[in-house]
Amino acid sequence: MAEEKKGRAVATSTAASIPKFVRGNLSATLKAKEEGKKVAAAFIADGQDEIMRAMDIVPAWGESYSGVCSAKRQAEPYLQKAESDNFSRSLCTYATCNIGFDMIREEQGGTMPEGAPWGGMARPDMILGNGQLLCDPRFKWPQATQHYLQDVPVFVTNMYYPPWDPNIDHHEQEPIYVKYITEELRETVKFCEKITGKKMDWDRLAATVELSDKTWDLFIDTYELRKHIPTPMDTGDAMNTMVPLTFNLGTQEAYDFYVNLNAELKQKIADGVGVADPEKYRVIWAAGLPSWFALGDFQYFNGKGVVFPVEVTYRGCEKIERLDLPKTNDPLEHIAWRWVRYWTHWYDAAKKRSGSTPKVERIIEYIEDYKCDGAVFHSAFSCRSWHAGIMQQAATLKNVYKDIPILIMEGDIVDISSYNEADTHNRIDAFIETLAAYKKRQG
Amino acid sequence: MTEMRDGNGLATAEKLYTQYGSRARELKAAGKKIIGYLSALGPVEIMTAAGVVPFRLKGNVSEAISKGDAYMESIVCPFVRNVFDLAVKGKYDFLDGMVLPHQCDSIDRTNETWSYTLKLPYWHFLNVPHVTGDPSITFMKEILRIFIGTLEKFTGTKITDEAIAAAVKAHNENRKLMRDLYDLRKSNPPAISGTEMMKVLVAAMSLPVEESSALIKAVTNEVKAKGAAANGKGKRIMIIGDQIDDVAIIDAIESTGACLVMDDLSLGAKMYWQDVDATPDPLQGIAERYLRKLKIPTTFVGSADTYAGILEERFGHMKKYVNEFKVDGVILFIYKYCDPYGFEVPAIKSFIESAGTPVLYLEDEYSTSSLARVKTRIEAFLEMIA
Ligand code: SF4
Ligand code: SF4
Repeated sequence: MAEEKKGRAVATSTAASIPKFVRGNLSATLKAKEEGKKVAAAFIADGQDEIMRAMDIVPAWGESYSGVCSAKRQAEPYLQKAESDNFSRSLCTYATCNIGFDMIREEQGGTMPEGAPWGGMARPDMILGNGQLLCDPRFKWPQATQHYLQDVPVFVTNMYYPPWDPNIDHHEQEPIYVKYITEELRETVKFCEKITGKKMDWDRLAATVELSDKTWDLFIDTYELRKHIPTPMDTGDAMNTMVPLTFNLGTQEAYDFYVNLNAELKQKIADGVGVADPEKYRVIWAAGLPSWFALGDFQYFNGKGVVFPVEVTYRGCEKIERLDLPKTNDPLEHIAWRWVRYWTHWYDAAKKRSGSTPKVERIIEYIEDYKCDGAVFHSAFSCRSWHAGIMQQAATLKNVYKDIPILIMEGDIVDISSYNEADTHNRIDAFIETLAAYKKRQG
Repeated sequence: MTEMRDGNGLATAEKLYTQYGSRARELKAAGKKIIGYLSALGPVEIMTAAGVVPFRLKGNVSEAISKGDAYMESIVCPFVRNVFDLAVKGKYDFLDGMVLPHQCDSIDRTNETWSYTLKLPYWHFLNVPHVTGDPSITFMKEILRIFIGTLEKFTGTKITDEAIAAAVKAHNENRKLMRDLYDLRKSNPPAISGTEMMKVLVAAMSLPVEESSALIKAVTNEVKAKGAAANGKGKRIMIIGDQIDDVAIIDAIESTGACLVMDDLSLGAKMYWQDVDATPDPLQGIAERYLRKLKIPTTFVGSADTYAGILEERFGHMKKYVNEFKVDGVILFIYKYCDPYGFEVPAIKSFIESAGTPVLYLEDEYSTSSLARVKTRIEAFLEMIA
């Protein structure tokens, strides 16, 4: 790639330790064999973290690795490899980048592709998919991978939550979903037992789930420190600090990371240090995965006095007490309730505001709590999951809330060909002008 | 509806195809409620049992998107976008409601875009699972019950088990009749062309089940009466894909002298090959059909011990079609931005090719604008297999 790599300097020193986490996760897959552990190709936000951790299964996160390839601007050969076997360029590029990588490694008899970023990722012993509502690649990607890794068994579970319908009482439906998810998770455990040849240690699972709950709470407490003006951390950093929650849930390291981040943010607040100096505008990152190859754009915003004290993306948790979870001694049922309520706990608020939706209600809640003046969405062309429906969210936000400035940026997560820096910066500049006019009007 | 007489089945299908939705409009004027759906996962038995008319929405490949893009992203499946655009423009203004089964991201993620933009009196998102184990069957029955509850509230009428059982029977009969018509494609040349067949398939999905069955019967009788043609020389083609509901692509194939003799499409074989078993709890049979019997890429299957076994579970039916309909070549026609089909292209292609049948993979938009390019590729493919 001829273009120069543009990273983003993180504002918090805790976030600077993230590459160590990511590398650690990758090298854990490479070391697993020596340690007699099984590797599972796994997907984030799939509800299976604690099962894997409690069974010493090492997750190989394809999305993470594609993100790394993208950030290093080294994804293209893998995308092309996948394309050479008829995977369309319009498919999820996290998946096609990873499949291309797997194809090359397989063709080379298991040797890592030359120059593989950060040493590469190991061949999995199993693939754990999830046919949940989040996205199709979560169960199609495993099947596509199996085409090249034919001896690797695939297990796909299904974790749904009640769909939003203003005319239906979702509370009545929740137990149906929880029962279903719990049974599905039990099947996942059985599959993992079969592959690892080990029985689940249920006490260890319960302890792991408890640690996750504590991590959820600490994560939210820490992120809520960003309500402070000036905000001590913004979305540019959060795209890094999400790593322990997203990829290392159920481990002590993840918890400890947020202890450190919490302390650092408190110190920044005490010292009056913000992300932008001066902080002129506060904006929510309202939806969308970022362009990993262009995280420097956050700095561009910051340089113009714009900060993102809050984002919807990668905030995959909530304070446990806010979810009002029914008591249960079954850790799988607890995971199920936590999962369902995480998604449904904006439903009641959405019902109270005519014409609203839970996704929009969540954005409104953050705009109010974090005192935002505008909203930025990112629409990545290769992922329908997070990016189809953004126009609807933006329009609803204006209709049911207020006519705040909104910017919808267009690009991709991995495919750099969709990106033009000058155009992006021009659009950001125009948006900032709208923000300025809006703030002036507000007085 | 045009009165069905002997000998006018194909003409009726043609009319219903070109004036798509005309019968639904008449029924609406006569006081019927019309519920739209989008894919093979639309649970037509329940809708029929509720006394509403299940009406499958179709796009128009010749019509450019002019209004829908103001509400829906261009990264969505081009078929979904096209139908949505037509709906926004009022083509389906006779709808009382819609049910969107959870099929793929393009449908799931635009559910609110549809419902909040169209603002129809009735709306339901049916959360069909992607996996098929026993917990999923139980869950599927639960969500069907929720769906039934919302329909009952909407129509003000209870949907009894007897009504569901009767609807199951009527739809099974309908499917059998369509399979009988498909049988007439096995001769060489096929007794009914691919273009004619497409029109019948489209027409059939726009009618209440009894009228649909009457149409299929009329077409079958007419085609049989026409008698067998002389020996055909054209290559026999099968098309695989999801939402192909227009003759444009079929014309592109048949204008080269080839014959489309079979399909694995969402409005074709996928809809008609599998019946609902009559079970004491009728929902059991319905859940099993939609989850376990339907062969669609949004349902994950993979219980066999070997990869070869898994491929057989997923695509074995395609090989069967190739043999039964004496197919010479397969066209795999997939829309851009369709993850469920897109991710299985290499697997399907190598599975069918391994049995000696060549496959042409085409990725396209839902639009005639690229037809010339597609046609060139089809011609090259047919030359290759000639
Ligand atoms: S959420 Fe989007 S980017 Fe992530 S795996 Fe699914 S489709 Fe790909
Ligand atoms: S063609 Fe693909 S994306 Fe479009 S509706 Fe069908 S499964 Fe969904």
